[in-house]
Amino acid sequence: MPINLNHNLHQFQLENGLRVMLKEIHTAPVTSTWIWYGIGSRNELPGKTGLSHWVEHMQFKGTRKYTGEDIDNLVSRVGGYANAFTSSDWTTYFETMPSAHLHATLELEADRMVNSLFDPEEVETERTVILSEREGSENYPEFRLDETVQLHSFQSHPYRNEVLGSKEDLIGITRDDLYQHYRNYYQPANAILCIAGDISPQAVLEEVENLFGGIQSVPVNRSIPTPEKTLNHSDLVEMEGPGEAHYLEIAWRCPAASDPDFFAYTIIESLLSGPSSLNMFGSGSINNRTSRLYQALVEEDYAASVFGELSANIDPGVYKVFATIQPDGNPGAALKVIDEQIHQITSRELSIREIERAIKQARALFAYSSENITNQGFWMGYASSFADYQWVAEYLTRLSSVTPSQVLKTAQKYLREDQRVVGVYRASNAQEGS
Amino acid sequence: MNNSMPDSRTILRETWNNGTTLLAYPNLTSPAVYFTGYMQPGSIADPGEMHGLASFTTDMLMTGTRHLNFQQLHDKIESIGASLSLSTGHLSTTFFGQCLREDLETIWSLLVEVIQEPAFTEKQFKRVRNQILTGIAIQNQDTAEMASQAFNHALYGSHPYAHPEVGYAQTVSAIQLEQLESFHANHYGPNGLVMAVCGGIEPDVAREIFSRTLGTWQNNTQSPPETLPPFTPPASSIRSHVALEGKNQSDLIMGVPAPKTVSRDYQVCSIGNSILGQYGMMGRIGKVVREKAGLAYEVSSHLGAGIGPTAWTIVAGVNPDNLEKAIALLKQELVRFRSEGVTEQELQDVKTQAMGRLPLSLETNAGIASILVSIERYGYSLDHLRQLPAIIESITAEEILDSAQRYWDLEKLVIASAGKALE
Repeated sequence: MPINLNHNLHQFQLENGLRVMLKEIHTAPVTSTWIWYGIGSRNELPGKTGLSHWVEHMQFKGTRKYTGEDIDNLVSRVGGYANAFTSSDWTTYFETMPSAHLHATLELEADRMVNSLFDPEEVETERTVILSEREGSENYPEFRLDETVQLHSFQSHPYRNEVLGSKEDLIGITRDDLYQHYRNYYQPANAILCIAGDISPQAVLEEVENLFGGIQSVPVNRSIPTPEKTLNHSDLVEMEGPGEAHYLEIAWRCPAASDPDFFAYTIIESLLSGPSSLNMFGSGSINNRTSRLYQALVEEDYAASVFGELSANIDPGVYKVFATIQPDGNPGAALKVIDEQIHQITSRELSIREIERAIKQARALFAYSSENITNQGFWMGYASSFADYQWVAEYLTRLSSVTPSQVLKTAQKYLREDQRVVGVYRASNAQEGS
Repeated sequence: MNNSMPDSRTILRETWNNGTTLLAYPNLTSPAVYFTGYMQPGSIADPGEMHGLASFTTDMLMTGTRHLNFQQLHDKIESIGASLSLSTGHLSTTFFGQCLREDLETIWSLLVEVIQEPAFTEKQFKRVRNQILTGIAIQNQDTAEMASQAFNHALYGSHPYAHPEVGYAQTVSAIQLEQLESFHANHYGPNGLVMAVCGGIEPDVAREIFSRTLGTWQNNTQSPPETLPPFTPPASSIRSHVALEGKNQSDLIMGVPAPKTVSRDYQVCSIGNSILGQYGMMGRIGKVVREKAGLAYEVSSHLGAGIGPTAWTIVAGVNPDNLEKAIALLKQELVRFRSEGVTEQELQDVKTQAMGRLPLSLETNAGIASILVSIERYGYSLDHLRQLPAIIESITAEEILDSAQRYWDLEKLVIASAGKALE
């Protein structure tokens, strides 16, 4: 059964610039409301990293109309669930609720688009909460290695920074920094409101007009970084610390999601390190036991596990491969094996069968997540944040049109040994093998 | 997904002579199918001190069969975009998978093949053992995992639940290939296998496929299920800490034995637990530890469910310098929970949340299949989901106070943490 993501999709734009995407799905009495703001760590300036993520936390602390407790109750009392996420390109808030309560979520989102308080005491409490969030991540060597590799993968583009922000910046950021960031970026013209589920589009649009139409947009003073299309150097980052397993991470440049090369890159990822799911809510995955890297590294005992990550971003980002190396293993030997696999993929064309396999896998992953109304809401805004909704609606078609020669050219263009960052974390408690 | 609640009219439940059971519920708008279930054995069948034997055996199942080597097996699964996984818990081995509707018979046939005819090759034995040992090495550096293990040791004492299903480096290293083969022959079999399936397939079609696949499985040497030994809770409070080098955060677990899952007490404690550490931004303890004191990003309470003994716990990740402060704040909240009980407003909020969440839990095939498995595991009626609102509605504040006092005995609290060494 073909999956038509444009089915029952309605798109509007209010006079103040707010884009509205509505998708009717009447399979369950549930709606999922997502509001996406075009702000993430990509737009942060040196010394102020982590602002966007911290503002996201403050959006749960209250407005003049709603206390933080009211916000909790509004969703929880009716059995809904809500959360928010900050990435390098966007910040988003969602509520999945019984559909009878859609109005309450729209009222909340309209209100906190402009009326959040940023109470100074709450700001201070949240500072320690976010530092605690960061400390929890720092407990893992993989996080520390990844943060370092990311930093070396860009010269000055903010994609080099961890979304949580650096510890130094988190200590120095003030309430005024946060409030200014909020007032600057939280504008109707910088937002997309997406609602999927059991709705009547015309009635919902009228409601949206009533609640959001009166909010004035002022121009956003946006810091726009210069894209770094190529990674013009190779780098080796070596770390050592407590632990018993070693970690190896390699980062290559990948194109922006809107770049035609991105789809050929997706086929490369599927083949090398296994396909990634586009959805956010765990509705299905593929085990990745047949990828070339798994076969070469894990099956041959060079690593205990391996996976890859291709990120869809506004600007060129990175494709990363992570391997966990056994305590008596050798990260250098694993790197040689990866190099051999990269050499193979950059020296000859794939077969049509391999491409068809990647497409079947992508179709299955789409099918798994399309049953989930929350994912449908997510997809609308997600794709619109770095390209447009057609990007996701035509994803399978565009993958199907990728040719073996495009894959080869893309691999040769990006997967270069002289344009990558290699990170190695050596566990001090382990005995490295030869 | 249709709007009707799964119940005795719409759930297909059928048993086979070989001891297997199928539950199926249709969601014909979905092109995909999700299935999950459980079978014998669990890690309680690990003999003597051979901790990790059952789990290791299960890990070997997906490494190849007598007819398909590793590559062939996984190529069959992944080339159709499907997934299939197995893992061993204390009491049973669970399996789950997903595929497009047209591939269900292919995947169930493979499931039958991997559980009936695993290859147990020397090469895969060594590789899997290395993977398990690496996993254990990583876990040994994980503050959350080590706090959890310390908690289980303290709470369960000599009961088999004190040990991690995966075993320990020393016990896994000692396991031989022949022991895995013998364990497989004696413990894996159809008797007690339960499968739940939901998605774009008619239940009658699922039944036919099940009949041709898992319904035909025979193993005359399958041992009867292991009997769980009795659990004796600690007689007094226990505090333990695992020191780990180079950690910026400490993980904390404090808890007590939980009520039996199939009991009125459990339903009452479940509502009480939401108030304590789930509702909104992690309930009362979230408000005190995260929102007011800013001590933790993660703090919440959990009521364990299972056939054997389980725990009612509070977990938190905190800066090592704030560990004792967090414990003191959490204890204060427990004292309040035991002495003041809950307000009518809190109770009403959590009840409406629990009832509102029912339709949301049916949003996905996986959500429904998981509910079907619980219905079978705990012996609930197929109309359980319809009965649940009345049960929730009947719970009173007095019952929650009474259960808080009976279960949260602060004189017998188990507290475990892992992270920077304590001063």
